[in-house]
Formats: sequence, structure tokens, C-alpha cells
Amino acid sequence: MSLVKERAGIRTDAPPRTPPGTRRGALPRLWHFLGFGAPGLLVYACFVLAPIALSVGYSFTNANQFVPRTRFVGLDNYTRLLTDQEFLTALKVTTILTLIVVIVPNVLGLAVAVLLDRRGWFYNALRGVFFVPVVLSSVVVSVVWQAMLTDDGLVNTALRAMGVHSPPGWLSDPDIALYSVGFIISWQMLGFCAVVYLAGLQSVPQELHEAAAIDGAGPWLRFRKVTWPMLAPALTINTVMLLITGFKAYDHIQVLTGGGPGTGTTATLAFSVIQTGFTANRTGEASAMALLMLVIVAVVSSVALRFLQRREVDF
Amino acid sequence: MQDRQRTPWLRPVVALAVTAAFFLPLYLVLANVFKPGEDISGHPASLPWPPTLDNLSQALSRPDRLFWNGLINSVTITLLSIVLLTVLSAMLGHYLCRSRSRTARITMLVLLAGLMIPPQVILVPVTDILQLTGMMATLQGIVAFNVGYYVPFGVFVFSGFIRTIPLELEESASLDGAGRWRVFWQIVFPLLRPATASVLIFLGVWIWNDFLNPLIILGPAGGTTVTVGVYRAIGEHQQNYGQVFGLMFLAALPVLIFYIALQKHFVKGLTGGAVKG
Amino acid sequence: MNRIARLAVPLTALTLAAVGCSPAGTDAGSSGAGGKKEITFLTFETPNLDAAYWDAAIARAEAKVPGLKVKKLVAPSTDRTGYAKQLLASGQFPDVMISVSPVGFAESGQMAPWTDKELAQYTFPHSNPIGGKVYQLPYNTQPTPLVYYSKKLFAEADITAPPRTYQELLDDSAKLKSKGIDPFVVGGGGKDTFASSYLWTALVGTDVYKQTPDWMAQRRAGKVAFNDAGFKGATDKFVQLVKKGYVDKAGLSRDYANTEKAFLGGKGAMYPMGTWFATAGDKSAMKDDIGVFAFPTDDGSLSVPSYTGGGMSVSAKSKNLKEAKEFALAFQQDKANLDAVVKSDGAIIAMKGYTPPAGMGPVYDATVKVYDAAVQAKGVTNAFLVETGDDALLPGLVEKSYALAQDVIAGRKDADAATKALDEDWKKAATQ
Repeated sequence: MSLVKERAGIRTDAPPRTPPGTRRGALPRLWHFLGFGAPGLLVYACFVLAPIALSVGYSFTNANQFVPRTRFVGLDNYTRLLTDQEFLTALKVTTILTLIVVIVPNVLGLAVAVLLDRRGWFYNALRGVFFVPVVLSSVVVSVVWQAMLTDDGLVNTALRAMGVHSPPGWLSDPDIALYSVGFIISWQMLGFCAVVYLAGLQSVPQELHEAAAIDGAGPWLRFRKVTWPMLAPALTINTVMLLITGFKAYDHIQVLTGGGPGTGTTATLAFSVIQTGFTANRTGEASAMALLMLVIVAVVSSVALRFLQRREVDF
Repeated sequence: MQDRQRTPWLRPVVALAVTAAFFLPLYLVLANVFKPGEDISGHPASLPWPPTLDNLSQALSRPDRLFWNGLINSVTITLLSIVLLTVLSAMLGHYLCRSRSRTARITMLVLLAGLMIPPQVILVPVTDILQLTGMMATLQGIVAFNVGYYVPFGVFVFSGFIRTIPLELEESASLDGAGRWRVFWQIVFPLLRPATASVLIFLGVWIWNDFLNPLIILGPAGGTTVTVGVYRAIGEHQQNYGQVFGLMFLAALPVLIFYIALQKHFVKGLTGGAVKG
Repeated sequence: MNRIARLAVPLTALTLAAVGCSPAGTDAGSSGAGGKKEITFLTFETPNLDAAYWDAAIARAEAKVPGLKVKKLVAPSTDRTGYAKQLLASGQFPDVMISVSPVGFAESGQMAPWTDKELAQYTFPHSNPIGGKVYQLPYNTQPTPLVYYSKKLFAEADITAPPRTYQELLDDSAKLKSKGIDPFVVGGGGKDTFASSYLWTALVGTDVYKQTPDWMAQRRAGKVAFNDAGFKGATDKFVQLVKKGYVDKAGLSRDYANTEKAFLGGKGAMYPMGTWFATAGDKSAMKDDIGVFAFPTDDGSLSVPSYTGGGMSVSAKSKNLKEAKEFALAFQQDKANLDAVVKSDGAIIAMKGYTPPAGMGPVYDATVKVYDAAVQAKGVTNAFLVETGDDALLPGLVEKSYALAQDVIAGRKDADAATKALDEDWKKAATQ
């Protein structure tokens, strides 16, 4: 189970010793590269690096399917976006959604993990249930929840039966819709976090618990001082995974709200990029938006990763 | 510990209740798949008794073969993608791990940065590249994109495991005169079994469930995948929840079977480092 | 694992070879099997126009163009215009498409215009022109919206006849509300945001287009603005309907199909919707209980926003342009096809010499009656957000307007804010 820690992204491994092959000549080295390294790198370069380069190019133009002539516009797209209310709102929406998606499954996942941290078929089966949404497609999950949360759906029907006169419009109220979407994504990811935490919990040596118990530590103190530090790598894995999930959320929004209700409610950056690029056909603007998004994702993820890893080492 | 002494029944009861609440939405789908259409809006939460297979057979026998065509596409795309990904990323991971050069390290960093890139960021230019190579709206196109987009994940998982394999193993084999190719496939690759399992499992699930990429890259001419098919069916049949649920159930069934069969490896994969990050 | 490894290598090689050797196997425009020419045809599916309808209709038209094979493409949601843009952006623009707004496509030379000769069959051959040319066959007229209502719920609120003036509409709404009946059912959840906009369309029709038929042309010329008194006034009526609680906000969670279901299930008394609803109404159990009226004007004169078009467009860059056009025309002129779309989508066909099939339902008949009366009274106007000529909104603004309509329904924007936002979006769309 210490694998968790090793694999959590900490790359402190000792430098590899001389591998077989480095002693050989230039030609075999080239063959080695062509045979092992090149195929994967080539595909990666074609479909990830080259598109990013192309995006950079587009972002300095007014490329638009509906405008026959593409002009160089310099930094116009960027300067306009940075003052554009719509873009800033999308940024805010993305931030809120990502925060929900990072916090809720982490907290609830940990709670579920602690609850199910027992051996036996019974708890195994329950764990299995929590993981099911993780392997389902977001489209399926969204359709299920839409059927639950639409005004004539099960939740509001039940609320009305309990005597609530005007139950909330989970997906139709602009003040609530974003939280509903966040909750649904959280529901889907909860099992993922729970399973990662469970693995962490089971790696805590029993002797540590017993030693702490002998020292007179209550359950809460034992959790804080013994268990929680051991869960640091699991927290890293979950948080980074959830950060990415939050940033790239698109499927749920497309199915559940179509970016609405109204303006600036659930249209995240990822959603706006696709809308601008593929529906409004403003390739130039969409590219600038995509690159700004990329910068934000890169900065946030690496800061989070660095912080979490330092925390792992500290404990 | 504590609960074992005082209230031993408390934990299982709470666990069961929480799980049941969590499972409720899925129960609704399951129950309603086997219920006649008129009961779905009338008694959404009731047990499907007597069960009917009408919804499933309706979804299966659509005149436009939405499910069957989608299934063929999904299976082809997923299988081709994960096999290619496993092979390419195992080799690339090995190459980069065993190479001491500075370039290799930088390459590794650039590759791992790819883990963080949301597909939306690159999708617009990707369609240009696919058009240029004539692969837009083809299965090859979506497979090629999948390989490029997910190769960082494969490399990430494999390199984690490759580091745990002692170098001596490879050295002694190569001293025995085995070529690099044979050393890798006969000695190293079999040792990477857990990593291979993780890569196959996670990428299999992710690619099967992908929505946006096939929606745009495969386009309408290349046919849909089952996941895009579900999305399309909700416009036409939203009133007929029975058929939508039936289709969803069928679309999810292969992944669910896959998951139940490999449940152990899923968990191992997660905790063994097979996680984006 | 070893076996897998041994298998994987040749498999890889094979796939790489396949990728390299067969570029664009399914690409549009290539010759299909057996030397037939193949074209792609973009359709969309709704509860009325399902897969079976399209397959049968395509087969009939295909049979009339020898040597042609038609590949059906289906837009993944009813927003086929948005999807056509997406296909254009990703280089898969179809050869033929139906009911796609040509705005933007036509100006940038993506669509081929129809000639006068090809348009000779049509009752209004010059509907929604762009630069004087027609890019979409004007084969049917869809009044959008009319107000469908439940006679039973009206009776429950002691309303004896449908409202004829706007004031009567307000009075009736108040009566309904006082009986605990939601006056208006609207929709717009999920991917069907369009279903939020019909009250706005109705009010812009009665309060702007009726007085100034070329209002949008003036907007394009920069002579008027959305924030001007006239348009703002119409929008304010929409806002006031919402403020008085006459519009069911929960509709924003219902997609199109569920909105229809909500009205048919008695969730509200009035349902402003395009005339395609007539078929669903006639198919429902409450067909004899559904009435229809034109959204009332202040003075009680008839005004029906409506849209003639909805037909086929052809890609200017189609490799088989001739066949594509032949197919499109054959598709629209086939009597069986027209009958099918009348029966399944409540279309009012605008082609010379066409008579609808006998035995249509009461809702369809009532719908046609309202439309005919409006034609007689010269009360037909353009339909805001539905119109597609070069006097329509700029490309991309229709989707924004749907979102703004949702803002109004949700009570987040008043008339001033909504119209200002629309002017702002216009400015953006014009400079991009």
C-alpha cells in the first residue's frame, strides 16, 4: 500500500543507473528511439502539441467560418476576453463548480470510507455500489439526474407529497442550477474518492492505532493524529483528479442545462470554448479562450500539486 | 473498535442506509427499465413487478439500429484505442525511464503535462489536423486522437511500475544476447501486468464513456457511439422514459460487466498509482 | 501477458497500416457502393419526426433520383442549425440539410441559392431572402407561436371565450391564477433552450413587427436599437407576465418533450407554441379539449407571427450539387412526403396545388383556421428569433436570445437589462 505514496506523483527516485544500451553507438540509439520512443511521441505531438501550437496561431487572428478572410488581429482576442463580462462570468462559474467538485466528494468520500472501513463481503458489496457511477458515462448519469430533478421528477413530486408548496427548481432556478450540477458531478465522483481513501485507511498499521489508544487518545484524536496524516497521498490523488474533472466538465452541463438557465449560470469555460468554437464558429476567439483556460488549469494544478506533495513530505 | 463494544449493529445499519440513499437514482433506472411505459411516470419508485422486457426490445429493434451501430463503433474504437495505447505507452514509458539524457527527462515532463489538458482546449485545431490527414469522421481518426490524448496517462502508469523493475534483469538478458525488442516484450512487459491491467481498465472505461470527442470527431457520418446515441435518443424519446432508460441500460451494461468482472483490478489500479495526476 | 504482447504488435502494425491506407473511408461526397453517387442529408429527430418518418421519406425521394444514395445524418439535438455550424467547423458540412437557418452560411458562400425556376412551385417563393436570394425551400408555413389552451381549465376559471385583446389576456390570466391554475406553460430545459422564447416572439410580433414590418432590417441598418422604446416595451410585457406569476418558472427544467407533456398533462392553461404542436395535440387524449387563439394585440386586431421556409438547403460545395438539388426538390415535392409531414408535424404546406390529406384532427383544423383568418386580415408578421432572412438577427444571436428569454422567465433581467444585453451581443457579433 505504500505504493500509493510512491505513485502519488512524488518523483524523488534515485537517478537510474546506466541502462543497457547507453554504451552502444549512435545508430543503435537511433533505432532504439525509432522503435520505442518515436511512435508514442509522434501521436502525442500530432494530437496534443500541434493543436496547441495551432491554437496559439489562431488566437492572434479573427478566424471565423462565416468570415471568408482571416486577418491577423494581434492581441485583440485576449484583450477583449479579459474585459468581457461573459468570459469573466464563465471564469467565476468554473471556479465555483471546481470548488464544489473538489470539496464535496473529498469530504463525503472520506466519510464513506471511514464508514465502510471494515472487512467482509457486506462492506465489499457496499463499496462496489459506490463505485458504480464512476464507471458510468456522464451522459447516462446526467439523464438519470435530470429525470430526478426536473420539476415533474421524483424529488419534487416527493417534496410536494410531503407538503412543500413550491419546491426548488433544481435545474431551472438560476441561483441553484450550478450547485445542482456540482452536486451531480460530486455524486458521480464520490465512489472514486471513497475507494482511494479506503486503500489509504487500510494501509494504516493497526499497531499505530493501538499504541495511540493505549496513550489514551480518543477516536477523534486518533483520526487526526494517526489516520489523517497517512491519508495525505490519497488526498493528493483525489484532489488532482477532481480538479481536472471540475475544469473539463462539459457533458453534464450539455445534458442537464445546456449552459442555462439564462445567461452566466452554468456555462463554464470548457462549455464556452466549445460553444464559441463550434456553434458560433469564432475559431480565433475560441482559441484565445482555450489558451487562457490552459494557463489557468496549468497554474492551479501545479500549485495544488506542489502544495499537497509538500504536505505529504511534512507529515 | 469502539462501536464493536457498544453498538455493534449501528455501523452496518448506517452503512446500509447511506448506500441505499446513494443508490436511489440508479435503482430508479433499473426499476423503470423493466416497467411498462405508463407506470414510469405514474409509479416511478415502485418495484417492476411483473417485469417486462418491452423497453429493452424496443431499444434493440429501433429501425435505425441506433444501438447496434453504436455498439459496433464503441467496441471497435475502445478496443483498438486501448490495445494501441498499451503497446505505445509501455514502450515509450520504458524508453523514457531507462534513458538518462536530459532530453528524455524534459520529454517526460512535457508528456505528463498532457495529463492536465482538458480536451476542449485542443478540439478545434484537432479537427483541422484530422481534416488535413483525411481522418475526420472516421474510426481511424477518433482512435488516433484517443491514442494521442491518452498516451500521457499510459506512460504515467507504466513508468511508475517500470521504475520498480530491477535493471539487472534487463542487463543479464541483454548480455545473453537478446535484442532490445525481445528483452522488453519477453522480460519487462510480462512484469508490468498490474500496470497493463490499470491502463486497459481505466482507458477502456474512459474511452467507452467519452461523449464530446466522438460527438465532434466521429461526426454524424461516421455513426455514433453508444454514449452519443443515448444523448441523441433523449431528444426524440424523452417522453418515453422507458426506451431512454432501456437504451441507457444497454449502453452501460458492457462497462458494468467489465467492472464487476475486474472489480479487484479497478481498486488495485486506483491505489497502485493508476490515477491521473 | 506474453501472448497479449505477441498479439499486440501485429495488431498495432495492422491498425497503423489501416490508418495510413484508407483515408476518409466514410467521407461525404465520395462515390458510394456500386458506382452510385452518395450525398449526405442532415435531419433532426423530434417526438413528431422520428427515425421511421425520415427513413421512409428519404427512401421515397431517393427513388426519384436514379443512381443516388443518400446517407442520413442526424443532429444530436433539435438545434440542427447549431449542429450544422459545428459540422462546418469540423469540415463535415452536409450536402443537403433541412430546416437549417441559412443566416451566416449563405453570406459566406456555403449554401447554394435556389433559382426562380426551382422555386416556381412555391406559394411564397421569396420568403426570407438573403441578398435577394432564397437558400431554403419555403415549403411550409409555421405560425410561431399560436396560443394553445385547455378548454377545461378555462371553464374552471369561468372563462367562456379565448381572449381577444391583451387586456383580456391579462384578466383571464388573473382568473386562472386565482383558481390556482398556472396560466402559461413554457419550457427550455437541458439542451432545448429554444422552448423558452415563444412568449417573447409573440410579443415582438404584436407590438413591434405588426407596426413596423421591416424593424429588423432597420436594426441591421443601425436605425433602431433593441433598447429603444418599442422593442423594450414588448419585452417589458413579457417581463410583466413573469412578474405577475403567470409564467411557470419550473418550465426552465423541462426539455421540449417534457414541456409538451406538461401542457398535455394539465400543468397549465395556455401553451404558446409553434403549430407543429397541433399533431401532438391531436394524438393526445385531450384533443377535443384543446383550443387555439392568436396571441392578442392591444386593440384586438389579428396578428400571427409566422415563418415560411423550413425546407431544404444545399451546400454550395457539394461534389454532387446537381443530384443534391434534385434530391432536395424531389423530397419536397413528393405528395406522400408532404402528407407525412402534415400528419406528423402539423405543417401548413405552402406549395401550389397542394391539399392536405383528409381526416386531420380538430387541433390541426383549428390551427389552420386561425392562420387563414390572419392571412385574410393581413395580420401575418415575421416571427422574431425564427426568421432567417438577411433581415434576421446576426448569426449566433438567436442562441443568446434564448438565454436572455430564460433570464426574463427566471426574473433575473428586466426589459431594460435584457434589451441592453441584446444590443451588446449584437455589437460583439457585428465586430467579430
